[in-house]
Amino acid sequence: MIADPYQVLGVPPTATEDEIKKAYRKLAKKYHPDLNPGNADAGRKMSEINAAYEQIKSGNPYQNLRYNQSSASGAYTSQAYDSVKRYINLGYFREALNILARMSDRSAEWFYCSAVANAGIGNIIAALNHAETAVRLNPDNPEYQRILNMLQRNGHVYQQQRRNFGPSSPLDNLCFGLCLADLCCPFC
Amino acid sequence: MFGYVVADSAKLTAEEKNHYRSCYCGLCQTLGNRHGPLSRITLNYDLTFLVLFLSALYQQEPTMQTGRCLIHPRKPHSYWHNEISDYASDMSVVLTYFKFLDDWKDERKILSLAEAKLFAKQYRQAAVRYPRQCTVISECLSALTDMEKSGELQPDLPAACFGRLMGEIFVFREDDYARDLRDFGEALGKFIYIMDACLDLKKDLQKECYNPLTALSPDSFPQILNLLMADCMEKYRQLPVNRDQNLLENILYSGVWTRYEAANKKTRGDKKA
Repeated sequence: MIADPYQVLGVPPTATEDEIKKAYRKLAKKYHPDLNPGNADAGRKMSEINAAYEQIKSGNPYQNLRYNQSSASGAYTSQAYDSVKRYINLGYFREALNILARMSDRSAEWFYCSAVANAGIGNIIAALNHAETAVRLNPDNPEYQRILNMLQRNGHVYQQQRRNFGPSSPLDNLCFGLCLADLCCPFC
Repeated sequence: MFGYVVADSAKLTAEEKNHYRSCYCGLCQTLGNRHGPLSRITLNYDLTFLVLFLSALYQQEPTMQTGRCLIHPRKPHSYWHNEISDYASDMSVVLTYFKFLDDWKDERKILSLAEAKLFAKQYRQAAVRYPRQCTVISECLSALTDMEKSGELQPDLPAACFGRLMGEIFVFREDDYARDLRDFGEALGKFIYIMDACLDLKKDLQKECYNPLTALSPDSFPQILNLLMADCMEKYRQLPVNRDQNLLENILYSGVWTRYEAANKKTRGDKKA
């Protein structure tokens, strides 16, 4: 969690949604790994910018501070996880995600629960992303590893079948007769 | 529509290639006949796949024809069409109408408004014929615009929205296949949306535009795309396709990656240079 996400984006806390969005995109242009290949510093900076932007967009920009200030937060958090897990077991994934979104904790457990709930409603990208984060934060937990493996398994099967087809021929071969058809059809 | 769902022609037999090309040409002819010569600019490979796939599933017999093109008028070529080509051509003009309308709303380009107007009549007719599809397309596109405007960080959400649109288009008619077709179209739509975001990422970053993948690590893209296609194949297996499997699976296992591979090859080439 970032103490002052606004500072990371270089905007005042009074900035409008539009100003924040613009500042974020400007920074992304400067630090995104795709535009800075091989630059690890840029990659780290981009992660920080992403986290700051996410934190502001969550509607609770100072989550970390509030969490630390609240003395009862530990008990509250464990209670919240109990309800999240209950909802997940019953298949109420959206309700589980609603509670998760309101929590300030972003521990490995949070990412694990989020991965399971997101997988439940078909949010494949968030599920994979959060399962990976959970494993990174706590590599020794077999349960976290299990969900990550489960998510990846389908991909492996597809990849194997894809390999059986051989490497995809890059675009050069795409056209065969069709680019001629492309050219002629609008006019014939 | 983006035109990512293409065949990898290097791995097709001559017969399959011919069947594929004739399907594309048939759709082009159908567009011209139903909606006027101008509508042919809306022709694309994603809808060609729709025609191939639904024709195989419903075992629709194609009407074969031979004709000449302006480009090589000396060499006649064959093409085929059926009820599904009619349907796909209607969907094609509906999508194009919305695209132009959207460009007009977004960028206030007079040209786009003029283009939208060219397809307005076709759209109105389609809206009467296919109220289910047109309502969903309209809803989904406006939801997508909202998400793009607000800078939605979770790529799953706009992808699901585009997926819903595709799923509805794949439901050619409400019958026993409808549920599985909707699921398959939805999964394919998600893949198309994310593939497009992936290939546009650099351009969007440079222009400081919205891209759903901005906040994700690019290292994860190949895995994400793989998972999305894996999901799509799982849905594909639910449908009893008994014809043209090799061609369809060529597209779904190999063809959908051709533009991605080409872009990667280019990036690697740039790095070497």
